[in-house]
Amino acid sequence: MTSIMGHPAGGEGIGYSFSQPTAANVKQHGFYPYTDNGGSTLGITGSDFAILAGDTRSTSGYNINSRMVPKVFKIGGEDETGEGAQIVLSVVGFAADGDALRERLDAMVKMYKYKHGKPMSVSACAQRLSTILYEKRFFPYYVHAILGGLDEEGKGALYSYDPVGSYEREQCRAAGAAASLIMPFLDNQVNFKNQYIPGSGEGHALEAKKAEPLPQATVEALVRDAFSSAVERHIEVGDHLQVMIITRAGIQEVFHPLKKD
Amino acid sequence: MRGPTIIKAEDDKTRALNNHTLMAFSGEAGDTVQFAEYIQANIQLYTMRNDSELSTPAVGNFIRGELARSLRSRSPYTVNLLLGGVDPATEQPHLYWIDYLASLAPVPYAAHGYAQYYCLSLLDKHHNPNINLEEGMKLLEMCTDELKRRLPIDYKGVLVKVVTKDGVTEVPFDNDKVVRAA
Amino acid sequence: MDKLVAQYSRPQHQNELYSEQEQQDLSQTLPPLSLKFSLPPVDNRASFLRAMTDDHSNPSCPIKLAHGTTTLAFRFQGGIIVCTDSRATAGNWIASQTVKKVIPVSRLSRGEDKPSNDPTPGLLGTMAGGAADCQYWLRYLSQQCTLHEIRHKRRITVAAASKILANLTYAYKGYGLSMGTMLCGVTPQEGPALYYIDSDGTRLPGNLFCVGSGQTFAYGVLDSNYRYDLSEEEALALGRRAILAAMHRDAYSGGFINCYHVKEEGWVHHGFDDMNPIFWKTKLDHGEFSNVTSEL
Repeated sequence: MTSIMGHPAGGEGIGYSFSQPTAANVKQHGFYPYTDNGGSTLGITGSDFAILAGDTRSTSGYNINSRMVPKVFKIGGEDETGEGAQIVLSVVGFAADGDALRERLDAMVKMYKYKHGKPMSVSACAQRLSTILYEKRFFPYYVHAILGGLDEEGKGALYSYDPVGSYEREQCRAAGAAASLIMPFLDNQVNFKNQYIPGSGEGHALEAKKAEPLPQATVEALVRDAFSSAVERHIEVGDHLQVMIITRAGIQEVFHPLKKD
Repeated sequence: MRGPTIIKAEDDKTRALNNHTLMAFSGEAGDTVQFAEYIQANIQLYTMRNDSELSTPAVGNFIRGELARSLRSRSPYTVNLLLGGVDPATEQPHLYWIDYLASLAPVPYAAHGYAQYYCLSLLDKHHNPNINLEEGMKLLEMCTDELKRRLPIDYKGVLVKVVTKDGVTEVPFDNDKVVRAA
Repeated sequence: MDKLVAQYSRPQHQNELYSEQEQQDLSQTLPPLSLKFSLPPVDNRASFLRAMTDDHSNPSCPIKLAHGTTTLAFRFQGGIIVCTDSRATAGNWIASQTVKKVIPVSRLSRGEDKPSNDPTPGLLGTMAGGAADCQYWLRYLSQQCTLHEIRHKRRITVAAASKILANLTYAYKGYGLSMGTMLCGVTPQEGPALYYIDSDGTRLPGNLFCVGSGQTFAYGVLDSNYRYDLSEEEALALGRRAILAAMHRDAYSGGFINCYHVKEEGWVHHGFDDMNPIFWKTKLDHGEFSNVTSEL
């Protein structure tokens, strides 16, 4: 068992110099290393683009700590500006875990490029992010991540994650504080859930409207509507909307104002 | 059952409330029979005073009222009930699912406790409103077979009573059939 | 002695991002499906994890993980049928209605769900419990199976593959993993083989399994209509109907009905279909679900 776990058995394996478990009957203080910094993120794909967006408010409890803490990051770019990146990661939840996760993934993607002389594909990056999250299965990152980019065929690709790395490719996904407000809107407007073709039948014979990739302008409008609506009904969302649009031409980053109350 | 011991294997957990209404009960020992016989007596009293039989829906709503009142008392009855009956005038069958929190729901088929988890999906598939008694008994056998197969508890068989327009009758049922999982 | 060691060893946080080991990991060619997990610096890790992630024992836990399912698989004369729902829940929130709960455990390069109807060689695993646990460990199993195939020049048996997974879950027993999975495959040595493996370390061969919160409802339908000599069409219909029953009665199950048939040549996908039209068709055409009214 020791060998398979990769660390010595008995619990003394973690190298904390100050917290060596000394005696069994020593009572431990509560260990609560997480906080929720609020905010929401959202991603939608189209036939040749992907859009990731997030608000920039950072909260703790009922306090607003900052009005400009971005949640959407370019992954695998050249320097701090993220020049040349083709993948975008958004993280919402505990911002410190989010930063740690972004930094690790960014390092992985860069190392891949230097080693193989080609940029990492989104599908590969998506799988790698899953294993990064799962490595902390027993001490999770408190984040909901969404990864966006263009796949090998140039189509928009979006992957969403739970805190310990289960992932799925989707057309759209909202995460964070206002996910429960935004996701039903997206289901209806992007995947046309509960929309039927008028006059296609009576009662149960009514035909459901099929989902199709939306044009970029429509999606941009949907993203802004989703957030301006979420701001109206959620205290942790507001200030600015950060939008990253990934196309073959590269990543375009735009900021829009949101209400400041 | 008391502790881990079965006291009696063939206990009748039903009471006939009048000629065409039968109530089955489960729950806290003591409460069940006390409550059932209290209801039984009150229904009889009503019939004698007013010289008219109560319909099954009327009985159901009376029971619900009594349970709701009991629920707000110092020691509520913890009994779950199934109430079945056939209206002698219209010959319409009625079935009510009643729990100790005084929920009353008219249903085509019902179960209480763990049996719900195994039998309801089966009844969803095989039941239809035009079913006759013979088909109904077959359906019941499918349910008991499934319980024998999957329920971790050996419940020592079932007692079957049928309510028709002619009244309540006990039906013999083979409880010794051996069922094995696939 | 402890004091001396403490004086010269660095605190853990200084190693957090780029320890030597990690720098090596970073430059490795393959993304490691590693068995190295970081652990919280507390005495009782299981109870820490439970306090943070188990919404059953602690409904206000901060990290909600995806849970809840109905999956089934059964053997019959034509091979094995595997059916699942597609809902993932985190507490009361439906996290997704489009989860693929059947995971191919085959050569990694062939694992993709391709549109053609040709059978794909390899095994199938199902996903119940923690979504991440199932995805990660079935992928780990794919890796082991691929290595077995390369080393021994023949495909792994289902018995051996299931044993790898069971040994793994047993090694992590008490750590808080949550998975209930069925491994299905047809091999020349075994014929159609079906194993149930869960995070307690249980491993059972059998003819018929239902796993997840909706298992009892699926068992109800499946048991009463199951025969080994079912035809392929009958078997697929029964699998679908059992999942539909569970979706109807279990709130944690729903979405789409996902169906697979495993045979000698490999597995074939038989659709990922929205349950709603199927439910109404079943009700209106066959008169089932008489507890639901069809009036609008």
